[in-house]
Amino acid sequence: MPSASVQRRRVGHRPARRRGSLHSPARPWLLLAPGLIIIALLLWYPLGRVVWLSFQDYDLGNIRSGETDYIGLDNYTELLSDSFLWTTALPNTAVFAAVAVVGTVVVGTLVALLLNACGWLWRTVIITAILVAWAMPAVTGTYVWIWVFDVDQGIVRQLLDGLRTGIEAWGPQWLRDSAATSDYLAADGYNWFRERLPFYAIVTLNIVHNGFPFVAITVFAGLTTIPRELHEAAMIDGANAWQRFWDVTVPTLRPVFAVVTIMSTIWDFKVFAQVYLMPGGSGSNRDVLNFGVWSYVESFAQNQYGYGAAIAVVLTVLLLLITLVYLRTLFAEEKL
Amino acid sequence: MRRSPRSLTVSVAALTAAGALVLTACNGATDDADALDVWIMEGTNPDASDFFDDVAADFEEQTGAEVNVEFVPWADAHDRFVTGMAGDELPDVAEVGTTWTPEFAETGAMADLTDRIDDPDDYVPELIEAAEVEDGIYGVPWHAAVRSIIYRTDIFEDLDLDEPQDWDELRAAAIAIDESEAWEETAFPVPGHATHSISAFIWGAGGDFATENPDGSWDIHIDSAESQEGLQYLADLALEDDVSTTGATTWMETDILDNFNDENVAMTVQGGWTIPAILEDNPDLEGRIGAFMIPGPDGEPSPSFVGGSHLGVFEGADQDLSWEFIELLTEEEYSVRWSEESGYFPPNREQLTQFEESDDDLVAPFAQQMSQAGAVYPVTPAWGDVEGDEVFPRMMQDILSEDATVAEATSTAAEELDEFLNQDD
Repeated sequence: MPSASVQRRRVGHRPARRRGSLHSPARPWLLLAPGLIIIALLLWYPLGRVVWLSFQDYDLGNIRSGETDYIGLDNYTELLSDSFLWTTALPNTAVFAAVAVVGTVVVGTLVALLLNACGWLWRTVIITAILVAWAMPAVTGTYVWIWVFDVDQGIVRQLLDGLRTGIEAWGPQWLRDSAATSDYLAADGYNWFRERLPFYAIVTLNIVHNGFPFVAITVFAGLTTIPRELHEAAMIDGANAWQRFWDVTVPTLRPVFAVVTIMSTIWDFKVFAQVYLMPGGSGSNRDVLNFGVWSYVESFAQNQYGYGAAIAVVLTVLLLLITLVYLRTLFAEEKL
Repeated sequence: MRRSPRSLTVSVAALTAAGALVLTACNGATDDADALDVWIMEGTNPDASDFFDDVAADFEEQTGAEVNVEFVPWADAHDRFVTGMAGDELPDVAEVGTTWTPEFAETGAMADLTDRIDDPDDYVPELIEAAEVEDGIYGVPWHAAVRSIIYRTDIFEDLDLDEPQDWDELRAAAIAIDESEAWEETAFPVPGHATHSISAFIWGAGGDFATENPDGSWDIHIDSAESQEGLQYLADLALEDDVSTTGATTWMETDILDNFNDENVAMTVQGGWTIPAILEDNPDLEGRIGAFMIPGPDGEPSPSFVGGSHLGVFEGADQDLSWEFIELLTEEEYSVRWSEESGYFPPNREQLTQFEESDDDLVAPFAQQMSQAGAVYPVTPAWGDVEGDEVFPRMMQDILSEDATVAEATSTAAEELDEFLNQDD
C-alpha cells in the first residue's frame, strides 16, 4: 500500500499536470479532511483552549464576562515551584501508575496464558467473567471497593475480626503479641482511607481489576497468532515452558505488549473517579491527591481555571514524553 | 473507479455541514420568549414534579406564560451554574444553595432583588444575611433547615436516659450508650467530613469561623480558645471516651444517615428533612426516633447552621415575570405545602411559627432550633472556595486520626482561611 507521500512524489515527476486532476497535491488532504475535521473539533480545539487557559488568571468572573487576563507563565512558575507537586502529586501519579501498569499487564498476561491453555468451554466461561469486570463503570466499581473496605461493615473488616479472634484463641504467644499491637487488627477497625499507602493500595486493586481484562483479551488475541511451529521447534530444542515464554512468546508479541502498556500507562496516569470518589479523595486528604484530581479541584472547586489548566497541560506533556521515550526504546530494540 | 474530485469535495462539505448542524443543534435549548426557564434542585421534595405541575398551571393562568422546570441534582448543580455562565445557558429563575448566592452574585450573574422584597425582617435573619452582597440582596429565602440531634428513643428508654440539656449530659448519655451491653454499635459518631454537623459545637462554645470588619477584611476565629474548646469536646468524645467509630473519621453526612438507617448509630446530629427519608428507608424505626435541639455547654442550645435555598433571578431574564413566579412560590399556600412535602421549613418567620408549635416531636425541635439558635458561615463570595478546598474536613480528619492536636489543626485551618478570606483578589 503506497503511502500518501510516496504517491505524491511519483506524481511530482510528471511533467504536465491536468487541472483538477485526481492526482493533485490536495487529494490526500481532501481524503483526510473528514477525520481531521472531527479530530480538530473534538480534540485540538479543546486542547488548544486548555493551553490558552493555562496562560490566564481565569476565575468565575472571567467565565461570565468572557474577558481574559493574560499572565504569561505565572501559572507554570507557581506550579513548578510548588513543593506539593514534587512531594505529593507527582509521586502519587507516577509511582501509582508504574505499579498499576505492571500489575495490570502481569495479571492480564497470566490470564491470557490461561485462556490459551483452556478448552473452548472454560475459555468462554473465563472470558465472560472478565468481561463483567471490564464492563463495570468506574463509579460503580469504586463504590464496591469502598464497601469492601468499609471501616465498620466491610467484608475486609469482618475477615480481620475473624482473624483476630482466631489468633487470640489459638495463636502462639508471639503472634498474639503482634496482633495486639497491629493497626490493621485493631478491635475498633482500621480506616483504610486515611493514609496514602493503604488508600492507593485500594485504588490499585480497583484499577488492576478494571484494567486487566483489556490486556488479557488483547494478549490472548496475540497469542493465537503465534505459529505453533515456533513453540514446537523450541520444545524440540529442549526449551521449558518458562524459556518458551520469554524467548518465543514475548519477542513475537512485543508490539502487542507495547500497545497494552502504553494504553494502560495513559489510563493510569489520568485516573480520576477512582481517587475522587474515595473517602478523602476529593481534597480533604491532601496526601492522596494526584494530577487528575488536583487539576479538577483547582478548576472546579476553587474556580482557578487557569491554574487547573496548567496542571492538566503538565500532565499531558508528561504523558507525551513517556509515550515518546517508550516508543523510541521499543523501536530501537526492534531494529537490532 | 474514478470519482471526480468535485463529488469528493461535495461530500466533504456535506460532512462538515452535518457536523456544524449537530453543533448548532446542541445550542438550541428552550428559548421561547414567553416561557420561564426554572432550575430546581432535585431530591429536596420527593413529589417535586407534582408540586411544580400545579405551580406551573397556576402561573400560566395568572400570567399566560409557560414554565419549564428542570430538576438538577445537588451534586451537579454548582458545575451546571458555572457552565451555564460560560455558555450563556442560565435559567431565568433558579433555586440556589444559600452558600452559593454571594459567589454567583459577585460575578454579576444574579439580579439585585432588594427593591422587590417587601420587608427583609419577615424572614429568618440568617437567611437574608446569606443573600447579602455589599448593599444588595440577591436571593429570596425559599426554604431552609437546620440540624439538631436525632436519637433512638427505644435505646434511651432502655437505659433510662433523658434528652440531654447540656454538654455534660450529652457526653454522659453517649458514654452510657457506648458502655451498655445492649448496644454494640456506635453511640454518637463524630464525623470527619461533615462540617455542618460539627460547626454547632464551635458556635456553642462561643467560637466562630471568622467575622468581617467594616473595611471588608476578616478576623479569623477558628483557632480562638472558644473554637478550640468546642472542637476539643468533640475530639475527646471520639478519642478519649471512644463513643464514635474509626470509620467516622472519613464519614460524610450521608454516611451517618446510612448508618443511622441501618441501626448502627444511636444518636447523631442530622437535618430535620432527613426524617421522612429515614422512615421510608427503614420503616421499622417508626416510633423509635426522637429529636432535640443541640445542647450548648451550659443549657442554652448551640447555634446550628441554617442552610437552605434562595430563589434568584438571573441576568437576561424577564425581571417582572420572574418576580411574579417567585412571589407565587413563596406565598403561604405553596410555601407551606412545599415544607410539608419536603420536611424543610418556610423561611418566613410567621409561616415558621406553626411548625414551632407543631405536635410532632420530629418537627418542633428543628423549627425551634431554627428560630432560636441558628447561625451561618461567613457570608463572602470566597466561602465557596473554602468549602471547595475542604479546609474544615481536613482539619477535623487530622484531629480525629490524631495526626494533629486541636491546637495544631485549628492553627493550620486559620492560616488557610486567612489566605482565602483576606487575599487580594
